[in-house]
Amino acid sequence: MSVTKGKDNKPEPIAYSEAALRNNAVVVEYCRTSMAALSGSTAGVLGLTGLYGFAFYVFAVVSLWVMFMLKTGPNWHKYYISRQSLLTNGFFGALFTYVLFWTFIYGMVHVY
Amino acid sequence: MASSLNKIIVIVGFISLFHSAFSAAQHRSYLRITSQEFTTLPLDIVIQAVVSLFAVMWGVLNVAGNLREIPAAAELNTIRWETQRNLPSFYMFNHRGRALAYDYVPSSSKAELENLE
Repeated sequence: MSVTKGKDNKPEPIAYSEAALRNNAVVVEYCRTSMAALSGSTAGVLGLTGLYGFAFYVFAVVSLWVMFMLKTGPNWHKYYISRQSLLTNGFFGALFTYVLFWTFIYGMVHVY
Repeated sequence: MASSLNKIIVIVGFISLFHSAFSAAQHRSYLRITSQEFTTLPLDIVIQAVVSLFAVMWGVLNVAGNLREIPAAAELNTIRWETQRNLPSFYMFNHRGRALAYDYVPSSSKAELENLE
């Protein structure tokens, strides 16, 4: 049910629950994919082109991260192992989803 | 209760995002008809799109599910001692307590007990 694994850089190893880690990863992935699709649609509606669109993607990623931090509050280490990996994990994977929705909605709203 | 509120936030945010998309498309066609050059969208459409994006993101974040605490002891700590000692294999029903129950009628044979099921 729960697998313990040690953390190397600390003197005292911390045991993590594998099922809880997987559950949190699924929730974070779901939110990240939705965020990519929605912010891509918004960028398409706003008619952003070129580097402004990618800057908007970075803005959306950071704001999702801030929302995760707001949701957990000060005791975030109960839910995530590290904040930095929460910010950077799957950055480029979601970027492709973002570009897909961005170009699609841009074409729907501004071209046709 | 909170979950349905978040679902309402998601739905309203989606509708608002679609509305801003239609507003932007209409603005584009207005510019095309009046043969003006497109520079930027009106500020109210931009604000509506960005605000509804944030609303849907916050709603999805809460709809997606609860985060569980990752330390292994976090869920084991909530198990009570009585729960851990609850072993169904050791349940016993044929004990002397029936002698204390005044309205208990003993069954005559084992076959009768089996027919009850």
